[in-house]
Amino acid sequence: MDHVVSVACGSCGTVAQDGSKFCEQCGAPLTAPVAVAVPPPAPSTRSCRACGGTIAADGYCQDCGTPAATERDHWSEAPSASLGGVCDRGIRHEKNEDAMALGLAGDAPVLVVCDGVSSVPDSDIASLAAARAARDVLVQGISVPSGDTTRVAAWSALLVRAADAANNAIATAVGDLAERHDPPSCTFVAAVVDGPNVVAGWLGDSRVYWLPDAGDPIQLSSDDSGANELMALGLSRAKAEASAQAHAITRWLGADAPDIVPRTAPTVAQGPGWVLVCSDGLWNYCSEASAVAELVRTSQEVAGPAPEKIAAELVRWANEQGGADNITAALHRIEVVHGTATVDTVHS
Amino acid sequence: MAEFHTEVFQNEFLSEGATDVHAIVTVTSTGAGTAGAASATGTVAEIVMVDTSGSMQGPNIDAAKYAAQVAVDQIADGTWFAIIGGSHVAQRAFPYPNAPVAIVQMEPGARREAKRAISLMSPTGGTAMSTWLRLADQVFSQVPQAKQRHAILLTDGKNESEPREELSKAIRDVTGRFQCDARGVGARWEVAELREIASALLGTVDLIANPSDIAEDFRQLVAASMSKGVADAELRVWAPQGAQVLFVRRVAPTVEDLSTRRTEVNPLTGAYPTGAWGDEARDYHVAIRVPSKPVGSEQLAARVQIAVGGEVLTSALVKARWSDDSALTARINPEVAHYTGQAELASAIQEGLAAKAAGDEATATVKLGRAVQLAQETGNEEATSRLRRVVDIDDEEKGTVRLKRDAAKLDEMALDTASTKTTRVRR
Repeated sequence: MDHVVSVACGSCGTVAQDGSKFCEQCGAPLTAPVAVAVPPPAPSTRSCRACGGTIAADGYCQDCGTPAATERDHWSEAPSASLGGVCDRGIRHEKNEDAMALGLAGDAPVLVVCDGVSSVPDSDIASLAAARAARDVLVQGISVPSGDTTRVAAWSALLVRAADAANNAIATAVGDLAERHDPPSCTFVAAVVDGPNVVAGWLGDSRVYWLPDAGDPIQLSSDDSGANELMALGLSRAKAEASAQAHAITRWLGADAPDIVPRTAPTVAQGPGWVLVCSDGLWNYCSEASAVAELVRTSQEVAGPAPEKIAAELVRWANEQGGADNITAALHRIEVVHGTATVDTVHS
Repeated sequence: MAEFHTEVFQNEFLSEGATDVHAIVTVTSTGAGTAGAASATGTVAEIVMVDTSGSMQGPNIDAAKYAAQVAVDQIADGTWFAIIGGSHVAQRAFPYPNAPVAIVQMEPGARREAKRAISLMSPTGGTAMSTWLRLADQVFSQVPQAKQRHAILLTDGKNESEPREELSKAIRDVTGRFQCDARGVGARWEVAELREIASALLGTVDLIANPSDIAEDFRQLVAASMSKGVADAELRVWAPQGAQVLFVRRVAPTVEDLSTRRTEVNPLTGAYPTGAWGDEARDYHVAIRVPSKPVGSEQLAARVQIAVGGEVLTSALVKARWSDDSALTARINPEVAHYTGQAELASAIQEGLAAKAAGDEATATVKLGRAVQLAQETGNEEATSRLRRVVDIDDEEKGTVRLKRDAAKLDEMALDTASTKTTRVRR
């Protein structure tokens, strides 16, 4: 089979024909295309998100009249049975500036979420390019032998490389827009799960949570945000997150990023549970790790065990809360923990 | 082959909590061809009903007979046709009552003979229009292959030989079987009666003041009928689950509320009759109540479609988008505003004249005053000039008027029959 590298529209994700200058789907210029190895995921069905009815040829539900989501506005990915996510426009925003890219590095799940800065035009192009480029770096995996104690460090280093690749991809995707006073930019958050090890890397306020079935859930990432700086100054989380500067991120990806080296943090799963990577469109309605764990648990009761179904339920719930921002939720299920990293070291 | 196009005029932005979506949908048909061309295959039928009651004696019957002959000249060869004389009973004038068939196809011989038959019609008896309509229906039913059926009804008097309910009952029974334009000559007929006929049978109502004008009117009516190449189109309105269709109204060329004419296509879609189409444009006002959605949400509020022979030819989308931007939500769409005003104008005129006839001068003054105001606001100069013959206008903008003491009956009737005629928005 020939290895075909397709070119996808940075705005809506539609795969373009060779030589096209504009996207056939959305008309966005393709002068600075994003290269992807595979076409973007097709929308799972043409059924209505709101009522489950059929979407008519005119783009609206035959039963309830809800508009069909475009591919860029709403999509889901499920690269394996234990890994899945949904990226959604929400209600209040005109565009979906969130992006998500999931993949597998061998057996190791890779989850990337980028949240385009909504105050800056064309950040939807930046976020999609960044998420896919980072995912494509991460799925190459690491060459450290299984069981080696330096695996976590190697993943952390790869996360740094992934952020760098994402930043380059943004530059390519936005082209001349990078020269603008407010160049397209986005947050970056990624998690890889290697056996019991969960390694997170981030720039900005998109988050990784580790939600074990038993034991204390934690937010693995730590927001680069005004809210966090305020909390560092002693404000309560509730007050800090409600403040005007709460959502001002202090680090990001894009031409005007002050620093593109993500902070990384590992944890070790002691038992089964969920890794959740999400944008603030979700956690704005449910921030504390314990509340997030409870929400995922109740969502699982509604949606069943499939991660993309649970993610869809989380998105539905966030829209029900108002859908004030774009919403992305990506989940990986750690079902069986084959010993801890320490035990692994001993056995090898 | 006829093509239909739709265009939607609306402000789709709704403020938070708002539920009512209004839109004007312009439906344009092109390439409808002519019924004349179709008539060669025998799919078109035309019946002329002429009042032959005793009151027609004199210039009226002579003018009516001449007009019927002009109509016969206009009917294209191949068209099925018949002439009916109506009094307290209805009788076929042509084909002759003793003829073996009730309706024939037009050809030069039939045209000559029909005109001779018309010349033999003579006025006698009373007026029971239900019998005319029922006979026309019976005659049309002889030619089921003629899908496009049109009739003209001419009278000069009230429907005095039968209870009013008989006429209404006949109208209900023949509704959907053929279209009918109704014409009153002189000032002694009842506008409400002819409006009921024309309204149900998807035709027009008009007053002919001078008998000598009947012929030209008939010529135009038949010509219009012969130019319609689409026998029957229906307007379909889909509204989402949980929504309510507040009304469906034709607003141009004349106001006609179609809401009660709904037949179900499926639980979410209703069909409303529109009759035959030539190359023309009509405007429809559709109002839908949808459950309110959060600010930022979009919702399809209606699909407005034209279907011919059960096939949807065009579909227009009426949308709702909730926004907290009052600059967007406060805008009133000019087409919606215009036709809302024109529909209210029609009611104000009709209610004002009805109040005047009932001797309620206070209500009549208020209603006709409002009509003057609306006619001015919507730029309906024809309505303004007709109103001037019935009221003295003190202040057009405020709608302050006095009823004219010496208003002519004919002028009141002209105002009444023309009340539903609308002007189009200047675009």
